Amino acid sequence: MSLELINNPFFVTLQDRGRFSYAHLGVTNSGVMDEYAYFIANKLLENSLDTNVLEIGCSNVIFKVNKNTTFCLTGADCEFFINDKPKKLWQNYEVKKNDIIKIGKILSGNWLYLAVYGGFLIEKEFGSNSTTVKENLGGITGTRLKKGDFLPFNKSRKINKKFLKKEFIPKYEDELTLRVLLSYQYENFPKEEIKKFFSSSYMVTKDFNRMGCKLQRKAIKCDINGIISEGIAFGSIQIPPDGQPIVLLKERQTLGGYPKIGTVLNIDCFKLAQAKANTKVNFQEISYLEALAKNREFYSSLFFVNNLSKISLDS
Amino acid sequence: MRFSIAGVDSLIIYFGDKIDEEITRKVKKAYLSLKALNLEGLIEIIPSYTSIFIQFDIFKYDYKSLKNLLKNSVNLNIKDDSEEKIITIDVYYGLETGFDLQKISLEKSLTISEIIQIHTSKIYDVYAIGFLPAFAYLVSVDEKIATARLSTPRTLIPKGSVGIADNQTAVYPQNSPGGWNIIGKTALELFDKNIESLSIFEVGNKVKFNSISKEEFLFQGGIL
Repeated sequence: MSLELINNPFFVTLQDRGRFSYAHLGVTNSGVMDEYAYFIANKLLENSLDTNVLEIGCSNVIFKVNKNTTFCLTGADCEFFINDKPKKLWQNYEVKKNDIIKIGKILSGNWLYLAVYGGFLIEKEFGSNSTTVKENLGGITGTRLKKGDFLPFNKSRKINKKFLKKEFIPKYEDELTLRVLLSYQYENFPKEEIKKFFSSSYMVTKDFNRMGCKLQRKAIKCDINGIISEGIAFGSIQIPPDGQPIVLLKERQTLGGYPKIGTVLNIDCFKLAQAKANTKVNFQEISYLEALAKNREFYSSLFFVNNLSKISLDS
Repeated sequence: MRFSIAGVDSLIIYFGDKIDEEITRKVKKAYLSLKALNLEGLIEIIPSYTSIFIQFDIFKYDYKSLKNLLKNSVNLNIKDDSEEKIITIDVYYGLETGFDLQKISLEKSLTISEIIQIHTSKIYDVYAIGFLPAFAYLVSVDEKIATARLSTPRTLIPKGSVGIADNQTAVYPQNSPGGWNIIGKTALELFDKNIESLSIFEVGNKVKFNSISKEEFLFQGGIL
C-alpha cells in the first residue's frame, strides 16, 4: 500500500506542521511553507490537521499508485492529471492500483501539497516527519525524495467527495500586501526609515528558499550594524548591512545576528511562500491586538470548524 | 528583564546588551527557572547570550498575559547545579585537520604547540546553541589566539572540526559551510539521534578541550 515516485523530481519532501521544542539545540522548526494549502488538503481527506503530506516545489512529478486510496492536491496552480486526464486541485479523488498521478507544469505559486487519506506511514524523527535537508532530519532518509521511493499508507475508508469552494481558492497574484508587527529592534531604526519601509514597494528576488525570502528595492538603514545573536521568530524581517529585507520562513536558523525591524504576520507568510520572483510586496503595519485576532481567527476556523465554507484566506 | 514582542506568538526577554559572564548567568538561571515552571503552552524556549526567546500558544496566552506571568514567576535566584558539569572534547590538533593552524601561528607569532596549549588550558562556557543542531558557541578564547573569521567562508568544513572566531570557539557538529578558523578535529558525536537529549551540550555547560595524538584520534574513529 503505497505511492511510488517514478521519476526523479527536483524538489519533493515529506512535511508536516514542523518540529517543535528542539530549537534550543539549534534544530529548526521546518514544516510546510504554506499552512493554508496544507490544512485544506487534510480537511479534504478528513485527516487530523497535523497529518504529513508531500510538499512539491517543482514541475514534473509522477507517482504510481500501488493500492486504492483517496488523495488530493492543493496549493500552487499546476497541470494535474490522473491517468492522463486533466483534474482540478482543491478536491479529493479516489485512485486505484496502477493509476498514474502526474503533476506537470506549475502555473502560479511555488508549493503544492499532495495528501493521502491517513497520511504516509513513515516514522517521525523528534516528533515530526518534516524534512530538513541541511540537518538530515525527517522524511525517509532526511533528504528530498527520489525516483523509486515508496511512500506507504493505510487502507482508506470511504470518504465523501469534497472540494473547496471556489471563492476560498487562493489566487497567487503578482502583488502582495504583508501585514507587519513592529518587533525586536524596531526602535533602533530611525523614524524616517520605518516610514520608508512601509511606504515603499519591494520585489521578491530569486534568493528565496525554505529558509527565507530576500526582497529588493529601497535599502533600509539601521542605527546598529549587528546585534548579539538571539532567537528568531517565524516571519521576522532581518535587515542586513545592505539594507535589503529578508523575511525568515520555516527553515530559518534558530539564532540570528542581524537587526529586525518587524515580523510578518504568520498567516501572511503563507501567501509570501507562494510568491514568484518579481512579485511586488508592500508592507502594512498592524497592531499587536489586531494581529492576534487575525491569527486566532485563521487557526480557529481551521481547527474548530468543520464546515469548509467558513474558511477564508482573508481572515 | 526587558520584554519585547518577537511575533504574534512569541516574545523575547533581554537580560543585558553585551556578551558578559554575569548576563549569561542570569540568562541561564532564568532559563532553568522557566523550564522548572513547566508552563503549558510554551512551544519553544531559546536561550542565547543575552536573551531568551519564547514561542507560545496563541490560544493560551497573548504577549501581555505571558509577559505579566513571567515577570512575576521567573526566578533569577534559582539554584544551578549544572555548573559542575564539564564536558571534555578530545581534539587532534594536526596540520591535516587544523587548516588554519599555520596561518594563526604566523599571525600571532606563536608556535603550533603554544596555540594548542592556550586553547586547551581554558574552561569555556556554552553561551548559545544554534546555527546548526548542537553547534555550541563557547566563550571565551584567550586573546592571544582570538582570530577574526575568514573573509571568504569555506564551502565545506568537515564534521568535527574545531574552530575559532574572535573570542569564541566551537565544534562543527556536521559538514557545513563556514567561516571559522579551523585548528583541529574531534571524533566525538555532538548531535546524536540515539541519545535522549540529542545534543551533548546545553546552554550553561562548561567545556574543556584535550589534545590527543593522531593515533588516538584515529582509534576513536576520527577521519582525516
